[in-house]
Amino acid sequence: MDTTTSSRPDRRPDARSRPAAGEPAIRVRDLRRSYGSGKQAFEAVRGVDLDVEAGTVSALLGTNGAGKTSTMELVEGLGRPSAGELRVLGLDPVADRAALRPRLGILLQRSGFSGDLSVRETLQMWHSTLSRPRPVDEMLAALRLDGRADTRVVGLSGGEQRRLDLACTLMGDPEVVLLDEPTTGLDPESRRDVWSLIRALRDGGTTVLLTTHYLDEAEALADELAIMHEGRIVRRGTVAQIVEGHPSVVRFTTPDRPLPDLRGTATTERGTTVVETDDLQRTLTALLTWADRDGVRLTDLSARTASLESVFLEVADQEGSTR
Amino acid sequence: MSTSTTSSPTSASTTGTSGYAVSRRRVTGLARANVLLMTRNRLTLLYGLVLPLLPLLLLLSGERGDTEIGASSVTTALLTALLFPVYYNILSLVVSRRDELVLKRLRTGETRDAELVVALSLPGVVTAVVLSVLTLLVGLAAGLPAPANVPLYLVGMLVSSVMFVAFAFWTAAWTKTAEAAQMTSLPIIALAVVGTMSAAFPQRFAEVVERTPTGALRQLVDLSWFGEDGSRSVGFVDSWVAAGEPVLVLAAWTAAAVWLAARALRWEPRT
Repeated sequence: MDTTTSSRPDRRPDARSRPAAGEPAIRVRDLRRSYGSGKQAFEAVRGVDLDVEAGTVSALLGTNGAGKTSTMELVEGLGRPSAGELRVLGLDPVADRAALRPRLGILLQRSGFSGDLSVRETLQMWHSTLSRPRPVDEMLAALRLDGRADTRVVGLSGGEQRRLDLACTLMGDPEVVLLDEPTTGLDPESRRDVWSLIRALRDGGTTVLLTTHYLDEAEALADELAIMHEGRIVRRGTVAQIVEGHPSVVRFTTPDRPLPDLRGTATTERGTTVVETDDLQRTLTALLTWADRDGVRLTDLSARTASLESVFLEVADQEGSTR
Repeated sequence: MSTSTTSSPTSASTTGTSGYAVSRRRVTGLARANVLLMTRNRLTLLYGLVLPLLPLLLLLSGERGDTEIGASSVTTALLTALLFPVYYNILSLVVSRRDELVLKRLRTGETRDAELVVALSLPGVVTAVVLSVLTLLVGLAAGLPAPANVPLYLVGMLVSSVMFVAFAFWTAAWTKTAEAAQMTSLPIIALAVVGTMSAAFPQRFAEVVERTPTGALRQLVDLSWFGEDGSRSVGFVDSWVAAGEPVLVLAAWTAAAVWLAARALRWEPRT
């Protein structure tokens, strides 16, 4: 984006209650949330631990129903945890709501607007509710909505509505931004817009926690990510840390003679050999040297290092089958 | 990021002002949006503003100064002002804003729940109060006697408005869609209409009817405008004394409605 919400060196002149030095902007310990009671009780969040360092972007990744939104609503202060500890900027989202909300920017999974109000009227309404709002015109420009200011919300495209929603989220100049599936349902161009916006936020020192079920989104945006599955966080860290310890995979059509030692575990299924290895280079060297020397043609050869996708799919499969 | 605007937030000054001023600003901004939305929907506008004016025509049509017709026309005008701009309008406003997820979105910001309730109620309540003042003026123009106790008349209208606001929020809690409000509003509307017709019932029922919300309101109209306590004539001071019972009845209904609404209130659609 060529316009921006701006990086302002003096944006927070009054150091309001901040978490103690070294304390993360968001701190979650053994967080639980149950719906219903008795036999119908369902625990959507089952002991989540999460730290989001100030000034970083973290992504909560998971399949539908993993508990991402339930967790986010607790962090946002829209719901009360049934157990556990939760601090945002050192404050309790429910008990300290009045002190915390002016410093939070929240984007819900589904936008909520009155279709009969224009874009400008919607922003003016939102503006009136904030204690330190940025001007409506500035937000219109920052979200590329200036051309649509007098259009009724009902006439906006999905991408435009999401940008309007983001304009509300960011109008209060928040220190912590919570985005629940910010790009779901958006066209590729709008998605890129949102990505640039999130990067600009981080560059300006804002802390961002977002949920997504797009792996590329998490990989592109997040400094740290957490994979959530069935109410728990099952993997946490940078992409490298999450992928670490997961084997790389080499595949090829099974040749008509026995294989040499490939320094990995080889399995054969329906004519394809799959080799899992912790050292892709050595495995490939061994394989290719052998093929070259013995004149073996390896058809459909492919080699992949462990990726977020492979870890994610493995998590979804494994944890699902244990239940 | 190629450009970088460094304007400071426009209303940083408001952070130093009182919570009341901040609250008032939020309520005004939100209520303004609700008024805009009311004017954009012709049906709401019709129900909310035009319909309540019709009973005033009754006042002008009757024989000049006939207090019997006067009292029932005034009561009908006030009843309409309470049922449409207040009850039905707020009911459909709450249900549609809730279903559009607007209320949920607003609750993610700094707005407090109480401010949201006031902002949703304000346009309807203001309309009802304006209509009751208008009724007063049209009544005088139509040759009705000057009201015996104007403050009592306004107090009755104000308390009744709060009561119907609470009934609207309570009804909204179990109304699934804005269309369904046409059905779910019927019990309260029926209760309100029956309440104004105590004269049409035999004595034993009439006493019950007088203890309904609008039955009490009708008594207050008789007292505050026409200075009538049953068949007895009362002055300004005595009208306050005689108003004790209907005011208590109204207050009790209001408390019950608020209690029901507070228990049932939902901010987002059932999933």
